[in-house]
Amino acid sequence: MTAVVQATAPIVTGMVQSGFLVRLVRRPMGAIGLGMLVIAVVVAVLAPVLAPYDPDANVHVGIEDVYQTPSAAHLLGTDDGGNDVLSALIFGARVSLVVGFAASLMTILIGGTIGLVAGYRGGWLSTVLMRFTDFVLVIPDLALQIVIVAILGPSLLNIILVIGGLGWTSTARLVRSQTLSVRERMFVTRARAIGAGDLHIVWRHVLPQILPLMLATMVLAVSLAILAESSLAFIGLGDPTVISWGQMLNFAFSLGAVSAGAWWALLPPGFAIVWVVLGTTLLGTALEDVLNPRLKRHHLERDRSVRVAEPEGMGWLRVEPVRADAPLLRVRGLTVEFDSPAGPLRAVHDASFELRRGETLGLVGESACGKTTTVLGLLRLLPPGGRVTAGQVLFDGEDLMALPERDLRAVRGKRLAIVFQGAMNALNPVRRVGDQVAEVIRIHEPEVGARVADRRARVLLERVGIGGGRYADYPHQYSGGMRQRAMIAMALACRPDVIVADEPTTALDVMIQAQILELLAGLAREFGMATILVTHDLGVVAQVCDRVVVMYGGRVVEDAPTLRLFADPQHPYTRLLLASFPDLLHPERPLQSIPGSPPRLDAMPPGCPFAPRCPAAFDRCSTVKPPAYDLGDGRRAACLLVEPGHRAPEPIHA
Amino acid sequence: MLEPRSATRPAVLVAEDLVMHFAGRRSMADALRRRPAAPVQAVAGVSFQVSPGEVLAIVGESGCGKTTTANLLMGLLTPTAGRVVLDGRPVGGRSRAELASMRREMQMIFQDPYESLNPRMRIADVVAEPLRVHHVATSPADEAERVARALTRAGLAPAEVYLHRYPFELSGGQRQRVVVASALALEPRVLIADEPVSMLDVSIRAEILNLLRGLATEQGIAVVMITHDLSTVAAYADRIAVMYLGRIVETGHARRILADPQHPYTRALLSVVPVPDPSARRRPQVLAGETPDPARVPSGCRFHTRCPVAIERCRTIDPALVTVGDDHAAACLLVTPSGAPGVPPAARRG
Repeated sequence: MTAVVQATAPIVTGMVQSGFLVRLVRRPMGAIGLGMLVIAVVVAVLAPVLAPYDPDANVHVGIEDVYQTPSAAHLLGTDDGGNDVLSALIFGARVSLVVGFAASLMTILIGGTIGLVAGYRGGWLSTVLMRFTDFVLVIPDLALQIVIVAILGPSLLNIILVIGGLGWTSTARLVRSQTLSVRERMFVTRARAIGAGDLHIVWRHVLPQILPLMLATMVLAVSLAILAESSLAFIGLGDPTVISWGQMLNFAFSLGAVSAGAWWALLPPGFAIVWVVLGTTLLGTALEDVLNPRLKRHHLERDRSVRVAEPEGMGWLRVEPVRADAPLLRVRGLTVEFDSPAGPLRAVHDASFELRRGETLGLVGESACGKTTTVLGLLRLLPPGGRVTAGQVLFDGEDLMALPERDLRAVRGKRLAIVFQGAMNALNPVRRVGDQVAEVIRIHEPEVGARVADRRARVLLERVGIGGGRYADYPHQYSGGMRQRAMIAMALACRPDVIVADEPTTALDVMIQAQILELLAGLAREFGMATILVTHDLGVVAQVCDRVVVMYGGRVVEDAPTLRLFADPQHPYTRLLLASFPDLLHPERPLQSIPGSPPRLDAMPPGCPFAPRCPAAFDRCSTVKPPAYDLGDGRRAACLLVEPGHRAPEPIHA
Repeated sequence: MLEPRSATRPAVLVAEDLVMHFAGRRSMADALRRRPAAPVQAVAGVSFQVSPGEVLAIVGESGCGKTTTANLLMGLLTPTAGRVVLDGRPVGGRSRAELASMRREMQMIFQDPYESLNPRMRIADVVAEPLRVHHVATSPADEAERVARALTRAGLAPAEVYLHRYPFELSGGQRQRVVVASALALEPRVLIADEPVSMLDVSIRAEILNLLRGLATEQGIAVVMITHDLSTVAAYADRIAVMYLGRIVETGHARRILADPQHPYTRALLSVVPVPDPSARRRPQVLAGETPDPARVPSGCRFHTRCPVAIERCRTIDPALVTVGDDHAAACLLVTPSGAPGVPPAARRG
């Protein structure tokens, strides 16, 4: 999951930064909303040109002019004053939109300032401002608006002031919470360390982050303001000197349009209000969608989109006899793709490796090289949008990719358990840790009673080093190391054959890391479990793994027993990775770094994925994707340099 | 080759017996009985100095007080006791203007280059920001020149290539170089680097560490590197200060400490660093338990609760740092002060 997020993050950020308008308009809601609003604005601006009549030119009105039915002369008929409804509607757009935009601008200015100050400054000022906001929020808006307008007099300016002056509360609360989270971010701390003042930080660092949200809120506030103006006008508190849609409704209602059956005086202004409100709402929702993409669903949510294509040809030959020396887990040609606006992106390509009983396998590589995606793929736990498109995962002879979800659930957890990197996120924060361990036991062995499950959970926690006194604690009372221990206890709960540990020690201190690795190794020995260890730490791999699979650009580039891999790496990537890793015992050895960065999923090189960074690359590397060559001794490497019959070429120097 | 520089060049930054207590949290029962909250002793008497051109690594696990120490050095926190002296002038208790000028001399590099760069600012603006905050540049041309110089010093050359890019258009290593460039814009004499590479991929750590090493060696900048990673320290620091629970337990010349650690904590810490050599599988000396809560510091030696060689006296006596060799000191009752004959048997175990 982390790898996926990291891999796609630059793409997502890129789109937010560059083609924002394109993304907005690509959403049907955004395009329709924007279109509706643009039409309304154009009509308002061009009113004198579009309107067939001047609304103020009704000099001679006869009784026969009142409530005329729609005709060629008056497309929408006439109103109570004998005026053309269509013209009034067109000119009314000006007033309604001016009120809408002016009032919403006011709500943003007031609410934004209050939210920003309260969120950034915190302390007593925040308390005072937010209690004041709460106070304003509980006042019934319309009632107060009526009172104020009635006292101040129904002028257009007063109406704008009243609507804007009362409608800012939700904006203030939104902006405050957003400011609070931005304030905690590292670049704000960095600006403080530079010595920047508060004004500078708010202006340059905080405001730009929350501006998109404010924009979305403002668009939504326009519709609320137009509705509020219409309501005020409808009950007779609109500015009598100008015509707005609400005013049109008011006059039509109070001056007999209903009894005259003049629907044409009522429906058009109502429709116009709905039009603008719908348009701004659609646009505002789309804006929110585009600007705050909440794409991060948890990776433990079940993957409903698994669609498995059998590998060409021999997919039906799935049944494998189980022999004692046969690998426990055999991954063959695993390929994982993710949906993206630009089409499917291949995150893992044709990955194959094997795991024997009791063996510890290290899966290594830089971030975003497909390690985590591979293990999530083989457990069919991919996040939404990801799916296995080819390959087999034979677990004890059974293909996990072809198993129905129900049977897979029995395998997952019971025989194949996973320990995730972010232990805090994987534990439920509001439930006691001991209960959560007991729950796992009961899910997989329903016949076990609550008392037995409870007792077993205690034993398990004790085995991973958590004493009985901490059984009833909540996850936040645990340290990072203890949470990881609890996760291991949960993984152990059903005596799995394989434990998959995804960066189990990455966020932990080196001493705690040593404790956890010692624990995992001890458990593996004790229960004969096999382990897949996903890590970027070559030191850990060297110390605990029997076998290493090196991944790059979603492919397995080298696969070898640990001793051989470190003694005689075959792939240039493995060699460079080893040269970049510091060795405490040899501090004099100069460290190298690998120039450049791993390829993005949407910009995979046509040939070998490592070719652009490889110091040993030659011409064919940029066109040929090297398959994994078997080098004997249980070693494989995907590099043209080890191709049988390959003669040492002239290396191309960058 | 790597002789201590403190002897030859006067220190630019000195920490004198720094103490930082935070108000602890009181339980409801304590509050009812009007018992005061036990203070959290994040830093409990830490002294060291850094000379121009020197890299000092402050090493320790989380909760040892190393980040608090960094914040004290930067003046982001005011120490409960003790003081930080920059260039002969104390940092604490300065006026706002003096604090601002102090910050020009001392800049910080943060851990996470993905988080510490504002995603909506161009590189040119990120690097120019400190100049603008401190009104250093005399003209737009001067500012542009300083920005280009800083980027070049941080290894982002030619600078024009990077000026108009956004952080997301750069790789992790390049982003951290931008952070370094922004810290260099004011031409500081001291850089405080808080875990400068821990968020970067292993494959690109070396370039940032080489950059910091070069800034010290070639340009005479004093670098204080806060880290938990002993293997990078081994290759890049001149001197080390190992912290445990708010104290420096061992300090001295980096290679010497790695070759001959004296404090039991340093020894255990070194033994558990995974070494990328499967033929040298080591016997890690894994300490049980975790670092105690800094609100409840053990009596006597703070390490005695986890120490594999602790003796009875360790429960009551809080050992001070004693010199055990040339530029090498350790705070343990079992070490032999330099010049003293004989070696206590317990100290040689492990």
